[in-house]
Amino acid sequence: MSALDTGHQTGPLQRASSLAPSQGLAGRAARNTVATVVVVLAFVIAVIPLVWIILTVLQKGAALLPDASWWLNSQRGITPRIAGGGAYHAIIGTILQALATAVIAVPIGIFAAILLVEYSAGRLARVVSFTVDILSGLPSIVAALFIYAFWITTLGFSRSGFAVSLALVLLMIPVVVRSTEEMLKLVPNELREASFALGVPKWKTIVRIVLPTAFSGIVTGVLLGLARIMGETAPLLILVGYSQSINTNLFSGNMAALPLMINNDRQQALEPAVERVWAAALTLVLLVLVLNIAGRLIARFSSVKK
Amino acid sequence: MTFWKTSRLLTIAAVGALALTGCGSDDNTSTAAPGGAAASSSTAAADCGTGTLNGEGSSAQKNAMDQVSQTGYLAQCPDATINYNATGSGAGRKQFTGGQVDWAGSDSALKPEEATAAATRCMGNPAWNLPMVAGPIAIAYKLDGVTDLTLNAEVAAKIFQGQITTWNDPAIAALNSGVTLPATPISVFFRTGTSGTTENFTKYLHATAPDAWTADGSGDWAGKGEGREGSAGVAQAVAGASGGITYVEWSFAQDNKLNVAKVDNGAGAVELTGESAGKTIATATQVGTGNDLALKIDYTTKEAGAYPIVLVTYEIVCSKGLDADKTKLLKSFLTYFSDPATQTGLQDIGYAPLPAEVSTKVKTAIAAIS
Repeated sequence: MSALDTGHQTGPLQRASSLAPSQGLAGRAARNTVATVVVVLAFVIAVIPLVWIILTVLQKGAALLPDASWWLNSQRGITPRIAGGGAYHAIIGTILQALATAVIAVPIGIFAAILLVEYSAGRLARVVSFTVDILSGLPSIVAALFIYAFWITTLGFSRSGFAVSLALVLLMIPVVVRSTEEMLKLVPNELREASFALGVPKWKTIVRIVLPTAFSGIVTGVLLGLARIMGETAPLLILVGYSQSINTNLFSGNMAALPLMINNDRQQALEPAVERVWAAALTLVLLVLVLNIAGRLIARFSSVKK
Repeated sequence: MTFWKTSRLLTIAAVGALALTGCGSDDNTSTAAPGGAAASSSTAAADCGTGTLNGEGSSAQKNAMDQVSQTGYLAQCPDATINYNATGSGAGRKQFTGGQVDWAGSDSALKPEEATAAATRCMGNPAWNLPMVAGPIAIAYKLDGVTDLTLNAEVAAKIFQGQITTWNDPAIAALNSGVTLPATPISVFFRTGTSGTTENFTKYLHATAPDAWTADGSGDWAGKGEGREGSAGVAQAVAGASGGITYVEWSFAQDNKLNVAKVDNGAGAVELTGESAGKTIATATQVGTGNDLALKIDYTTKEAGAYPIVLVTYEIVCSKGLDADKTKLLKSFLTYFSDPATQTGLQDIGYAPLPAEVSTKVKTAIAAIS
């Protein structure tokens, strides 16, 4: 296939150059082969660690997952010496913190994107765009330390799941703004113009025409943003303590989350704890995977209608 | 319209996630049998508190804390929740004085400059250091064919400083007549970072063999070797290297099935047992006043049968100032923890029980918390 391509492309060059055609052809074919090999190798090298990680996590973590108690029980009353218990407390902690993050970050992100796309003129939009760029490069540990300094040291609140959510908001907003912005830009301008022509005010056009058209894309962006923040560990280490018991109160007390559970048990040499580390890692991967798939499915089945 | 369909789907998903909060269970009593049985059946918790208590700090006492709180106390007091995060002694004291946790676990007593901050955190009342868990530090090694080894402070200091580099060195052989020592090189593993274990171990070396170990006791390692993170890290390193040696809490040496050296304290070789470590802890003198039970350990003890390398970890608590529910829960939990029956149960996982006179003082202090 590749040889055929080269053959075709030599045509114009043959006419332009005075070199012997056979030598030029052979040299190009060789270069093409080398380039193909390099590209394929690079791809394989990039895929190896990914496949390796997934296989390792599956192999070591799959043992505990089929057990119903893994999904329904906490680790209360369990020590590294004892097998049993589950990850319910950590799963529910991760989900609740992610929901609280979404409740704050999604409206802010969407409104910011509307400002950027629909009201893009002016200095404010440039400032917002610049700030979002900076925020998207913010390391999670810096977000966590900022919330610690602001929420806990200055305002005097205690560590809690909500403090974690606040730090995650900082990490999620740029993702939501950027993905929503892209989706709003995809909405055909004719739709807006048609709406204006019918005498619909601008705000109503945005709410009733632009947003619903871009809706599925926005949802996909939000879900991908959620998937990104669920595995964040630094805010958890700094802003909340681990608890082996179930705590569904975001605003007070220690609260488990899957990365925290992994971190807590990873220092143990004993078999039951090691098994739980891998099982929790697999659970986290599955949770993120489900969100990713949901995002893609929504994108596929309700893409922007033109 | 897809808009409404998708939003309905999302609403269902969100409500579903919230509904999930109701269906989990904290009840693991059916599975929590073997390891916990000893601790839970031996003592009855006086009167149960309710609510949640959060502690943080020393990793040296984590295994004991897990055992006592999760399998012991919580089994008897289902309305209470005890959380302990092993982030290190320094972090624990900081979170305690910052008001983020209800008590701190620490390998060293509150330092004078921290006492003021702690008093502020306790609404103007002093914080007390209560010795609660005594952990002997094992000199753990792995050497093919050798399961019985005796060292003393001077030889240990030279090994950990890299002056003795092979196992059949005459200095080691002199302490181990009758043991065939191979010519394997010694690999020393130490704790990276600031560690309470390192501090206590080097204090012991400096106090007992000041000529061989000239540096003062410190949380940062001053000897030779390869660094590993955490007690579990050094223990695993030794488990994977023939000829390896390290200092680590007994509990972790047991978890990793390492050999533990006997220590010659000047009055003969002493095997590490709960009892032999308890003898050294009994020689400790109180340096705090009243109910503040900060202890000073006499590492140079020459008492026959006393294992000299021990570490006492404290619970740092407010003498007054927590709210009523938490105070009740804290007192109930600590009373259970300091009870001789609970303490004896800790021997199974590599800790030493508090000696009777210390535990009596601790009990008095706990009763005085209000």
